[in-house]
Amino acid sequence: MPEHRCPSRRSNGSRRERRLFCTGEPTYTTDAGGRHAPKPAWLVLIVLALLTSSVLFAQYQRKPPDFGGAYGFPTPEHPEPRADWIRILDIAALAAALGTGSWLILKRRSRNGVLLLSIGALAYFGFFRRGCICPIGSIQNVTLALVDSRYLISIGVIAFFFLPLAAALLFGRVFCGSVCPHGAIQDLVLLRPTKVPERLDRALRFLPYAYLGLAVLFAGWGLYQQRRFLICEWDPFVGLFRVSGSFHMLAIGAGLLLLGMFFGRPYCRWLCPYGAILALLSRVAWKNVQITPDKELDCGLCAEACPYGAIRNLRADRASCVACARCYESCPRHRQPQAAPGGGDSLIQVS
Amino acid sequence: MSEKSTRRQFIDRSCRIIGFAAIGGAAGLLTHRVSGNAVYQVDPAKCTACDLCRTSCVLSFSAVKAVNQFDKCGYCMLCPAYFDVNSAPNERGIPSGKVCPQDALKRRVVGKVDEEDPNNNYYEYTIDETRCDGCGKCVKACKPPMGNGSLRLEIRYARCVECNECAIMIACPALAILRVPVPGISPARSAEEGKHA
Amino acid sequence: MNPKNVEPRQFSLRDRLDKSWFWPVGIAGAFSAFVTAAFRTPPGARPAPREPGAAAGRLGSQSGKPAQSPGKLERKYALTAVLGGTSSADPFRRSLVGIDVGTDDRIFALGDEEVRIYGAGGKVVGRWQAPAKAGCLTAGPGGSVCVGAGNFVEIYDAGGARLGGFAAGDAKAPARITAIKTYGKEILVADADARIIRRYDRSGRQLGVIGTQSKTGSFILPNKSLDFDVDAKGVVRATDTGRHQVTAWTIDGAPLGRFGKFGMANPEDFVGCCNPVNLAIAPDGRIVTAEKMISRVKVYEPDGKLLAVIGPENFDPECIHIHLALDSKGRILAADPVRREIKIFSLAAKTGNESPGGLHPPADGQLYEVTRG
Repeated sequence: MPEHRCPSRRSNGSRRERRLFCTGEPTYTTDAGGRHAPKPAWLVLIVLALLTSSVLFAQYQRKPPDFGGAYGFPTPEHPEPRADWIRILDIAALAAALGTGSWLILKRRSRNGVLLLSIGALAYFGFFRRGCICPIGSIQNVTLALVDSRYLISIGVIAFFFLPLAAALLFGRVFCGSVCPHGAIQDLVLLRPTKVPERLDRALRFLPYAYLGLAVLFAGWGLYQQRRFLICEWDPFVGLFRVSGSFHMLAIGAGLLLLGMFFGRPYCRWLCPYGAILALLSRVAWKNVQITPDKELDCGLCAEACPYGAIRNLRADRASCVACARCYESCPRHRQPQAAPGGGDSLIQVS
Repeated sequence: MSEKSTRRQFIDRSCRIIGFAAIGGAAGLLTHRVSGNAVYQVDPAKCTACDLCRTSCVLSFSAVKAVNQFDKCGYCMLCPAYFDVNSAPNERGIPSGKVCPQDALKRRVVGKVDEEDPNNNYYEYTIDETRCDGCGKCVKACKPPMGNGSLRLEIRYARCVECNECAIMIACPALAILRVPVPGISPARSAEEGKHA
Repeated sequence: MNPKNVEPRQFSLRDRLDKSWFWPVGIAGAFSAFVTAAFRTPPGARPAPREPGAAAGRLGSQSGKPAQSPGKLERKYALTAVLGGTSSADPFRRSLVGIDVGTDDRIFALGDEEVRIYGAGGKVVGRWQAPAKAGCLTAGPGGSVCVGAGNFVEIYDAGGARLGGFAAGDAKAPARITAIKTYGKEILVADADARIIRRYDRSGRQLGVIGTQSKTGSFILPNKSLDFDVDAKGVVRATDTGRHQVTAWTIDGAPLGRFGKFGMANPEDFVGCCNPVNLAIAPDGRIVTAEKMISRVKVYEPDGKLLAVIGPENFDPECIHIHLALDSKGRILAADPVRREIKIFSLAAKTGNESPGGLHPPADGQLYEVTRG
C-alpha cells in the first residue's frame, strides 16, 4: 500500500487533525412570533374548549333532543397520544443500546455483535418507532428550547440529544456504529466498499458542519420569520421507516442508499449534522480506538477493511471512526492473538 | 515525544472536561425547563377546511379525520354535510348528491321512527375512519350558518406518527395547527405552565 | 517510523488549492447556498390566513349559489332606515339578540345586555339593564316588556321597573326560551328543549302547551331554536325548521295547517338544513320569515304563496338568526345579530294582485289545510 506522506501531517503517534472548524456567526433578525407558542391547555381535547367560545353559540345549550325510542349518545373516541411509559422505554432502550455497543466494541471487539445490535436498533428505533424522535432531529428541538424559553421540550428529547453525546465523550462514536438506524441501514447495503479519493473526502467532510450550522440557524431563528426544521424535512431515511413521504425525501434516500452500496455510509460521513458534533467530541474521548505504532505489522489490513476512510496512514482518525469494529475483524493479531509475535496484545486497542 | 504526549493528553483531558461540563450544563438548563410532551392538534375555530390536511401529512393516508360532536349535531334529516343541497332533488325531495367524495359519512335513523313522514325522523351521522381522508368538505358544509358546526377536523393519535415538526402545520394557511402540551412525565412543569398561562 | 524522503515537487495551482481551504469551503458554501435558495419562501407566497368573515369558504360547499331570480313577485320592499349600526350614534357593541315593536310603534331592542327603546325618529328614549342570558323580548300590553332569559320570564313596565317574573318549565326539565310573545294577558314562550310552546298567565301558572297535538309529532329543531308569533285572533304560527315548514295552531294547540318545503332553487322554498329560523306575523296577516345560509327575509300569504323577497345583500352571510318584528304600518324590522344593526324595510311597490286580506279565515273558521310538498 503506497504511503502518502503529506508534509503538513505529523509523523508520529496518532494522527489527529488539529484544526477545529468554526461556523461563522450568521446575521439574523429575531423572530417576532414563534409558531411554537404553547397554548394554555391541559388536555389534548383543547378543541372542545375552543368550540364554545363564540358568542353566537351562547344561546345553544348542549341538551340533546328527545328522540323518542331508545337511543343512547355514542361515546366519542379520542385516541390518546403516545403514553409516557413508551417514551421512558425509548430512553432506556437508547441507554442500553449505547452501553451494549460500547462493551461490544471495546471489550469484546466483536464485529458480529455490533452488526446484530445495529440491526436490532434499526428494527426498533427505525421501523417500529418510525424514526421519530431521533437524536439528529433533536438538535433542532434543543436549539429552539435554548433560544425560545416558551418552547416545550420533553425529557425524552433531552435524553435523546445528550445521551449519545455523553457516550461519545466516553467511548467515541458508538452511537453511529451500534444504534443509529440511519447508519445501520447504510451499513446493510454496503456491498463493494470503494475508497474515496483523499481530496474529495477531505472537502466533503466539511459539509456536516455547514449542515449543522444551517439546521441550528433555521430551527432557532429561521428565514423570513419562519422557523423550519431543516433536518426533519430533508431526512433521507425516515420516509423509508414510515413507508411514505414526499418525493424529494424518498429520492434522496434512494440516492444515498445507491451511493452507500459503494462508498460506505455517505450520509454519516458527509451530511449528518449530529455526526459533526459527535466527531468533535469523539476526538477527545476517554477511551477510543487507536492504533499503537510500536506494535503494528504495517500490513495495512485494517486500513483496507475500514470502508469509511477512518484509518489514514495506518493511524485511526477518531473523528471519522464510526465504531463499526471492522478493523478488529481484519487485524491478524486480533484473530490469532497467541500466535502473533510480541504477545497476545492486539494492535488495535483502547487507550 | 513524551512531552508532546503529556501535553496532548492534557489538552485532551481539558477538552473532555469542558465537553462534559458543557453537556451537563446544557442538559441541566433544559431539564430545569422541561415540560410534558407536546402534540399537534387542529384548532377548529381557525380551521377553514381547505383540503391541505389531506395532502400535507407525511403519511399518505392522512392522520387527520373528521369527527362529529354529537351533542352539537342537529341530527338533521337533510344534513348539509351529507347531502349536497345544491344537487337536484329526487322524487321525495331529498337531494341526490352527496358531499363526501369517499362516502365516509354514514347516516342512520335513530329514535322513534315515523314511517309515514320521512321528515319526522332524526338521523345520526358518524364517520368511517377507514374511508375518511381528511379533505374537510363535510366540515366546511357544516360550518354555521349552514349547519351547527358539529363536524370538525381532528388529528387522530392512533394514526399520527407524532413528527417532530408537523408537516400539516407548515402547510396550513390559517395557522390552525397548534402544538399543545400533554401532561406527561413532568406534571409539575405543566402545572406551572397552567398557572402562568 | 522514519519519515521517508519526499520527492520535491513543483508547486502548481492544483497543489495550492489542495492544501488550502478552497475545496472544503467551496463545496460547503455551494451546499449552503443551494439549501438556502431551496428554502426561500418569500413573504408574499405564503397564503394569507383567511378572514373569518370572508364569504368564500365559510358557507360550506353549497354556499354562494343564490336561489333563482324570484321572477315576478307581488311586492317589493326597500330599505328605509338602519338603527343601532356601526354608523349610528349609539351602536350595539357586543350583541343584538331580539327586537319587538310596541303598540305605539316604539321599537324595543335587546342587545349589549340591556333593553333599549327607540322612539320616533330612531332616538333612544329608554334603556335598562337586562337579566343575564336574556335571549328574547316582546312588547306586552300597556307598555310592559317581557324578557326571556334562560328558563326565566321577566316582566318589566315601560320604565324598566321589574313587575314580576317566573320560571318556565319545571324543575326537572327547565325551559330554554328562544322566543316570547304576549296574547292578551297571557305570555307564550317557545321552549326549544322540550320543543313546544308554553302558555302562561302573568303569575306563572301554565295554561297549556302548543305543538303536541300534531299527527306527525312535535317540532323538529336541528338548529335548536324555535320561533313563533301570535296574531290578534289567537292563531299561533311557529317555525318547524327540521321540516322546512311554517306551522299554524290555535291558541289551544289544535293544529291548523302548515306550508313550506325544502328547496334550493325555488325562492318560495326554504333552503339549507333547517329553515325558516325566524318568523313574524304582519298586521294584515301576512307571514314574514327569515332564513339562514342564504340570509333573506320573505313575505308569504297565509297559505304559503310567496309575495316578496328581501335579498341576502342586506344581511351578513354569517347570520344564524334574523330577528323580525313589524310595526303598525306593516314595515318590516329585521335585526342582524352579526352586524348588530336593525334594518327597516317599507313596502315600495305592489302589483295589486294579492288577495285582499291575508289575515282571516274563510267563513268556516278553519285555515287552509295545505301541506305543500
